[in-house]
Amino acid sequence: MAAATADASGIATADAGTDAGAQAPAVPAPATAPGEESTDRDVVFSARHLWKVFGPKADRIPDDTTLTGLSVAEVRERTGCTPAVRDVSFDVHKGEVFVVMGLSGSGKSTLVRCLTRLIEPTGGTLEMDGEDVLGMDRTTLRDLRRRRAAMVFQHFGLLPHRSVLDNVAYGLEIQGVGKTERRARAAEMVEKVGLAGLEKRRPGQLSGGQQQRVGLARALAVDPEILLFDEPFSALDPLIRRDMQEEVVRLHREEGRTMVFITHDLAEALTVGDRIALMRDGEIVQLGTPEEIVGSPADDYVRDFVRDVPREQVLTVRRAMRPAEGDEADRGPALAPTTLISDAIEAVARSGGAVRVAENGRCLGIVDHACLLNVVARMDTTRTEVAA
Amino acid sequence: MSAATVTTVPDAPTAGPLRALLRRPALAKLVLLAVAAAVLVPLLHAKWSGGVWPEALTVDLTKPLGSASDWIIDNRDSHPLFVYFLGHLSNAVVLSVRGVYLVLLALGWTGVTAGVTLVAWRVAGWRIAATALLSFLVSGVLGMWVPTMQTLALMIVAVIASVVVGALLGLAGGLSDRMFRLLRPVLDTMQVLPAFAYLLPVVLIFGIGVPAALLATVVYAAPPMARLTALGLRGADAGVLEAVTSLGATGRQRLLTARLPLARKELLLGLNQTIMMALSMAVIASMIGAAGLGDRVYQALASVDVGAALAAAVPIVLLAIVMDRTTAAAGEKAGAAGAAGPALLRGWRGWAAVAVVTAVVTAAGRLAGSTVWPTGATVAIARPVNDAKEWMVDHLYSGVPVVGGTADWAAHFTNWVLNPLRDGLTALPWYATLLVVAALAWLIGTWRTALTAVLAMAAIGVLGVWKPSMNTLSQVLAALVVTLVIGVGTGILAAGSKRLEAILRPVLDVMQTMPQFVYLIPVVALFAVGRAPAAAAAVVYALPAVIRITTQGLRQVDPAAMESATSLGATRWQILCQVQLPLARPALLLAVNQGVVLVLAVVIIGGLVGGGALGYDVVTGLATGDLALGLVAGVAIVCLGLMLDRVTQPTQRRTAKGA
Repeated sequence: MAAATADASGIATADAGTDAGAQAPAVPAPATAPGEESTDRDVVFSARHLWKVFGPKADRIPDDTTLTGLSVAEVRERTGCTPAVRDVSFDVHKGEVFVVMGLSGSGKSTLVRCLTRLIEPTGGTLEMDGEDVLGMDRTTLRDLRRRRAAMVFQHFGLLPHRSVLDNVAYGLEIQGVGKTERRARAAEMVEKVGLAGLEKRRPGQLSGGQQQRVGLARALAVDPEILLFDEPFSALDPLIRRDMQEEVVRLHREEGRTMVFITHDLAEALTVGDRIALMRDGEIVQLGTPEEIVGSPADDYVRDFVRDVPREQVLTVRRAMRPAEGDEADRGPALAPTTLISDAIEAVARSGGAVRVAENGRCLGIVDHACLLNVVARMDTTRTEVAA
Repeated sequence: MSAATVTTVPDAPTAGPLRALLRRPALAKLVLLAVAAAVLVPLLHAKWSGGVWPEALTVDLTKPLGSASDWIIDNRDSHPLFVYFLGHLSNAVVLSVRGVYLVLLALGWTGVTAGVTLVAWRVAGWRIAATALLSFLVSGVLGMWVPTMQTLALMIVAVIASVVVGALLGLAGGLSDRMFRLLRPVLDTMQVLPAFAYLLPVVLIFGIGVPAALLATVVYAAPPMARLTALGLRGADAGVLEAVTSLGATGRQRLLTARLPLARKELLLGLNQTIMMALSMAVIASMIGAAGLGDRVYQALASVDVGAALAAAVPIVLLAIVMDRTTAAAGEKAGAAGAAGPALLRGWRGWAAVAVVTAVVTAAGRLAGSTVWPTGATVAIARPVNDAKEWMVDHLYSGVPVVGGTADWAAHFTNWVLNPLRDGLTALPWYATLLVVAALAWLIGTWRTALTAVLAMAAIGVLGVWKPSMNTLSQVLAALVVTLVIGVGTGILAAGSKRLEAILRPVLDVMQTMPQFVYLIPVVALFAVGRAPAAAAAVVYALPAVIRITTQGLRQVDPAAMESATSLGATRWQILCQVQLPLARPALLLAVNQGVVLVLAVVIIGGLVGGGALGYDVVTGLATGDLALGLVAGVAIVCLGLMLDRVTQPTQRRTAKGA
């Protein structure tokens, strides 16, 4: 599979020319280990103070300091404008799955559309691989959309009059790739997303999950540097949704492609995300790894949001451990600091006592029954010092 | 826009009863109008009393229009506008119609029949192909081959021109918001105007002849294409378009690969409607110089020769059915996925086969030496039909025991309904008429529609045709009431019974495809000439649309609401009155609107069979060359149409086929 990817990217870069450097190392990189803040990695998207305001004379809102501090409702009442994205700053690192999560109306879908200027941002700066996206002319922007960033939509956005194969090949057709070549590449993608045998069908003849696989294949076919997902699985049945989430996780594991993933479903965010930006009323309330979001909610809103999450399945022993006492550091079984609490519970139960948390042979701390139970019972908040 | 959202209820505290009044927008509007009337009416009455529009307020357009017409006739051969533009246009029209006609003749009856049948088979399947085959054979047998080819030639050119013009306008309207805002009201209005209104202006410019006929047809038939193209392009799924943009498509790529294909269904519906309206108009345009089937009907009607009229009307109806079914089937196929038929005959191979077979059959026909339908193989139906009609005149017109005769009915309808209504409308003070129009339009629509309606009505007065307009209006109202009673009644029954609907459907299908002109023939046979037959034709023409819309409206009532009413123990009658009819209100209003528009169209054409009033003015104007008379009547028809449409303008509008 990796070989096929390299092939495909080779063709794409031959066409694109300029993208070669950014695309070259198609490392099947593992997902970023939770908790590992990788500031040193390449940044794909970098947004600073991004604003999107809908309404008449929206331009003045981001600069008007008397308005920027107000709530969405207050701004709407005073100016008739609706700020959808407010002063948002973040970096998307190469190879990570960056999840933007929030309830409907929180501005997350607007935000992802701002990244390729499907919606024109009102203010702020946005860079992709160091290039100023907001300053791009139409041709450059079109090239960005054609080859560098591909999007998967909630309602699929497939062309009903074309077959599955031609839908998948559509992005290549837009680029001007010849019929034989684009069909060959499309067939490869159809196979990759598990739709082999359905190439001749029309989108109307497919189930929702299959249609979204077509949407995914269409985005993959252009071999983009980054994949943008806008609530891709919200319209699907729960079981199919889980299949598709696993599909995305699998694809990411195999190809290591950078992804920005919009969702309103916390469980989905925790499943696929390396880092999560939680949005509310157009602002990012908290940005961190799933463990940080669940373990150290920034405010009551986030706390309320993550209340029902089974903590033992998100948090790691790094959070539960206590300093070693006596000779504990030298004996007993060892766990990696990235071990989930749920797995640690099993290990502790098996060993019958305390277990070491060790990294590179060095003992970081100790977990025992009490430590683990504290985390599950939400009594660990006072121990953030240790966890950090 | 609903009435409730238009009037803003002031927040200021008002006295109890007044506030209660203001809460009910309908009452508030009426009160406002009443206040305005209380001030204005005494003033107006003091100045210009009497029922008819005052002389002092009219503008006589006869003179300027007459001189304009004279000027055009004098300068047609010399003025640069005519020499360099209209002349070329006119020549091009004549040449292309002539060219198509010659091609059709060269193909011979064998080639044309085979070609049409095969095309129908390719597009719509063997059933409709069989209908096409039968239709063309029948028109040959009836001795109408040459007129059919003349009509077909005019139709082909007119449809191509209409589609090109309509599609271009629609493209502009679909892609530019400003164009759409500009086009939409114009197209909407053109859609409700009776065909007769278009005849005079083109005659004024081109004189009587093929160019005038073709232009009138194009002007009449292009709007649905433009409208549906624009709506189709605008209605494209925003999600798909966003996805296409996100892949980096240019504007052109987006139009060609997404927007146009997504609008395919609307485009084909537009083609269908354009063809049907073109046929309808091509037949009526016989009055301004289009040869062919319409001309035969027109000549026959002028001498009340029902047999000859029927012989020409049958091919018109068959042509209409074939064209409608073929294009409708193409539209349905565009919606469904996948191609049907054996693989050998798909795509270009199928079309090549059609061309080859047509060529072979044509050659066979020519070798056999019969390019024109063999004279021996015709059946003259005029005489037997006329005999039957004579028998009807003798036995059914009057003196039938108990029920009376058809002529008696017509006389009674005229004496007891049309005359009192006309006299009442004429006697009603003109300002009262304006007030009623304003009140109705405002209650049903918005203040904008009310204003348009009142202005249109006032324009009729200013033009000095108040009296004939009231005459036409009386016929429209009488016919409308009959249409609504029968139509809504039948609609309710059909909505309640699947069987009745199944029986009605094919009948309505055929009735809705027939051109307006054709409806005059049976009513003349049954009721002789006069205003009553004109109204009867209007009723028959408008019924299918009213029945359809009523049935659909009742059927679309939320089943949950019906179910809850049933669970509360409501009787069928209670469900109908308290749930179905109130919930189907928008559909019923639309039915009234469509009914008015369709009735007016035929009442005007009824001028040909003794309907009198505005329609007769147009006919006389054309027949005697008094274009001023006809033009003024034409403008009055436009105003009347506008008024009637705006008064009944429902919240949403849809197009009825063939309207």
